[in-house]
Amino acid sequence: MRKWLRRLCNAIFTARLDRELERELRFHITERTEELHVAGMPAEAAARLARNQFGNYTAQIERTRNMDIAESLHATLRNVRLSLRALAHSPAFSVTVVLTLALGIGANTAVFSAINSVLLRPLPFPNSDRIVSIAQIQDKTPQPHIAPVRLEDWNRMSHAFEAISGYYTQDDTELSGDLPEKLTHAFVAPRFLEVWGVTPQLGRDFNVDEEHYGGPNSLLISDRYWRQRFGGSPDAVGKTLRLGQASFTIVGVMPVSMAFAQRDVDLWSVSPPDFPYARSRDLTWFLGMGRLKPGVTVAQARADLAIVQADLARRFPKPDAEIRADIEPLKEQTIGNVRESLWVVFGSVTLLLLIACVNIAALLLSRAAGRQHEIAVRFSLGASRASVAAQLLTEVLLLALAGGGLGLGLAAAATRVFRALARDLPRVDEIALDWRMVVYALICAVAAALACGLVPAIVGTRRNLAGLLASSARTQVSGRRQARFVLVGVQVALAVTLLAGAGLLLRSFQALGRAAAGFDPDHVLTFRISASWGETGNLKASGQTVKRLLAAVAAVPGVESSAATFSVPGVPLTFPVELNVVEGRAKSEPRIIAESRIGSAGFFATMHIPLVAGEMCPEESNTPGMMVNRSFAKTYFGGDGVIGKHLGHPSSIYFPVALVRGIVGDARERGLDHEPVPTIYYCGLIMQPGLYFLARTHGDPMKLAETIRRKLHEVDPARSVYDISPLNAHLSDAFAENRLRTVLMTFFALTAISLACIGLYGTLSYLVNLRQREVGLRLALGAVPVQIMRQFLGQGMRVSLLGCLAGLGLAAAFTRLLATMLFGVSPWDVITMTGVIALVIAVSTAASLLPAARAAKIEPMRVLRDE
Amino acid sequence: MKKNDILQGTLMLLILKTLAAQKCMHGYAITAHIHIVSDQLLRVEEGSLYPALHRMEQAGWVRAEWGMTEKNREARFYSLTPLGRRQLAQEEESWARLTSGVGKVLRYA
Repeated sequence: MRKWLRRLCNAIFTARLDRELERELRFHITERTEELHVAGMPAEAAARLARNQFGNYTAQIERTRNMDIAESLHATLRNVRLSLRALAHSPAFSVTVVLTLALGIGANTAVFSAINSVLLRPLPFPNSDRIVSIAQIQDKTPQPHIAPVRLEDWNRMSHAFEAISGYYTQDDTELSGDLPEKLTHAFVAPRFLEVWGVTPQLGRDFNVDEEHYGGPNSLLISDRYWRQRFGGSPDAVGKTLRLGQASFTIVGVMPVSMAFAQRDVDLWSVSPPDFPYARSRDLTWFLGMGRLKPGVTVAQARADLAIVQADLARRFPKPDAEIRADIEPLKEQTIGNVRESLWVVFGSVTLLLLIACVNIAALLLSRAAGRQHEIAVRFSLGASRASVAAQLLTEVLLLALAGGGLGLGLAAAATRVFRALARDLPRVDEIALDWRMVVYALICAVAAALACGLVPAIVGTRRNLAGLLASSARTQVSGRRQARFVLVGVQVALAVTLLAGAGLLLRSFQALGRAAAGFDPDHVLTFRISASWGETGNLKASGQTVKRLLAAVAAVPGVESSAATFSVPGVPLTFPVELNVVEGRAKSEPRIIAESRIGSAGFFATMHIPLVAGEMCPEESNTPGMMVNRSFAKTYFGGDGVIGKHLGHPSSIYFPVALVRGIVGDARERGLDHEPVPTIYYCGLIMQPGLYFLARTHGDPMKLAETIRRKLHEVDPARSVYDISPLNAHLSDAFAENRLRTVLMTFFALTAISLACIGLYGTLSYLVNLRQREVGLRLALGAVPVQIMRQFLGQGMRVSLLGCLAGLGLAAAFTRLLATMLFGVSPWDVITMTGVIALVIAVSTAASLLPAARAAKIEPMRVLRDE
Repeated sequence: MKKNDILQGTLMLLILKTLAAQKCMHGYAITAHIHIVSDQLLRVEEGSLYPALHRMEQAGWVRAEWGMTEKNREARFYSLTPLGRRQLAQEEESWARLTSGVGKVLRYA
């Protein structure tokens, strides 16, 4: 290894080597001169003789030097020089190849960088694979929040965790600045930073006093807020913020990496476990997370918590007997279902790179054909096949490296676009160009060079030399066109695969737009109003608050009706619950499981969800009521029988018993791409953080935004109104990932088919050139131009048809991977496939037509004269 | 081919043998040594000597160091490495085989 390094040094720093050699040789001559002189020769004659005996001085140095530079290295350098010269001779070819590869490698690297950052790289915390999220499962529903007292029990009693902690957030209004400012405020259980394994970048963690009820109010602030509000000044620690009625002292600044588990948190403060409300085993509010001890698996931790919870169930049968704990690695939870999307996009972009390589291979084949003569001459001068092939490969490698370098630049730009396009992608902020990308692009370039250079290098150097030299360049029909057409066919097949995938995604997207939502998303404004959990203590007052705010909104001219809800209809969210029927239900009947929603009485009128049977919930009522949708009534009660029944859990806070008032139409509550499922709607809610307010307007909803905001300020100046957007924007955001995937796939597929067509065009053109003389001869002998044209066109069409067939086979495998991402179309959609084939045939006809027409226009006289 | 020219492979053998006897020598001393020891029958061409020395250095058979001659001139001194010693044994053996083979043929003819 060291030896090679030294040789490389020698090869690069030849000047130093030369100096050393010269010293060595000069010494030799001096010694010889002296010897001759001592033997009696005059000094001058001795010097001349010594020099003469030595021979050509410069040549000696050169020959000796070559021994110091490894022969193979030397050959490589020579290859590089030769290749550069050859490439400079055909700039159009070189630029085409470099650009094609830059596009392929760039796109590939960009997508890989997303995969690397989002899927492969661990979360930015020490030993982040040990961080898990913990949920409490109750009422047979994944109601993830945990009672503070139970969280403390789990932390104390379990053996699998270094620490268990939790948090919840609410919106707060900060009042110490010039203007009230809405901030996201996280309340955390003790040990929060211990779980993440981070320390504040400035200041300190919460201390024991602050973790007790009645202790000082202290805050950690986010890096973002620190820079924005305090300009990143260290003086921020010790400053006071005013949140509602209370003052908080800033004790530290969180590190940048604290973008988990929720990205938009500005402030953290302690929610003391000895807070009076926190003693209840029924009141739950923490989203839990924990850090496993080293070497403990998720399964072991799950088992450990199950034992702990069983113990708690014996001590506190009510409610702990009905509660279980569930654990999931935090990374899994963060990434969610983005994984599939990213891999599909990566698969497509890799197919694209493959097409680019095949395309270049075809280009190289024609180039090798054009250089047959040059290659033959080199063979006849004694070059070995390996050395000629090595030189051809070197050319491709140089092009690929240039393409890779350019591609890397492209990828850097693309990641920026990606970040802008996919704002909601988890961990999208972490996507950036790093050394891994550089290595990846390099590997891509080398792989591409081998993929597209190997075949031409082997085929291009496999010839009967004597025959070639003798026949000059006038081969009639090249035997190599087989290989070229195979390459074109492969490109068409891959392009068909990509087009089929893109087509299906596009059709799903279309279908999504056409799907009957069951509600009317147009002309609806959504917004939020700040609230705190403290208000929820007084149920009656906070229920009145909602009604007062809704009435104020409804009174704004131009507003048709208003409502409040926990979830925006059509935005994916699941909240399943298993329900009991108070009136009784036969054991043989299936269990009742339904999606649950909560809305104000005006929800259905505002969303234009029609009443099917029974009556709507009244505005004012002393008994809790609920509405069910049509599929709920049909699935579990066979129709209207459900009206008047009481459903729910007698002891549950979240799913209390309520009277079914009526049946409403099915709406795609869980997302436009999901069929409506049996759903219940609790009527009436209280003011609390996280509510959405909806206002149906006569005209453009955004036009009323300011009016509504001002009106609410009049009614309740202490609250801020924020997050104002039309309902349609929510729906479109919900499909941002879907849209990104579709846009990218379509872009890749169109690039692929363009490349395939260029390949087809190039190959046919080449063939026409090659057969000029033959065509001329046939025309001279009376062939009709149309015949000639038909022949070439037919050749092109045959290749693309065979490519289509192969492509359909590939597409069958590829689209099956897409199955879960499709909506309203089957992975084997006839319309899509027909459309793809029609498109491919149309463009490949166009691509074949030009060379075919050129063939038909050959002038026999000119061609024959050229002979 | 002039009669005192030395074949390339043979030259390496001679250099190895020379260096095996003497601890370390510069290029000029090697030529002189071969010239004298062969009773002036063999003369090493400078044009072959230095490329051969450098190739042997790259192969790891000899090691080179700058040093001073007794006349206080700067020269590059070569010495044998363990690898070179093994190479010498090999080449001596193959040389012996070659000469005995050639000898047999000549005697037969």
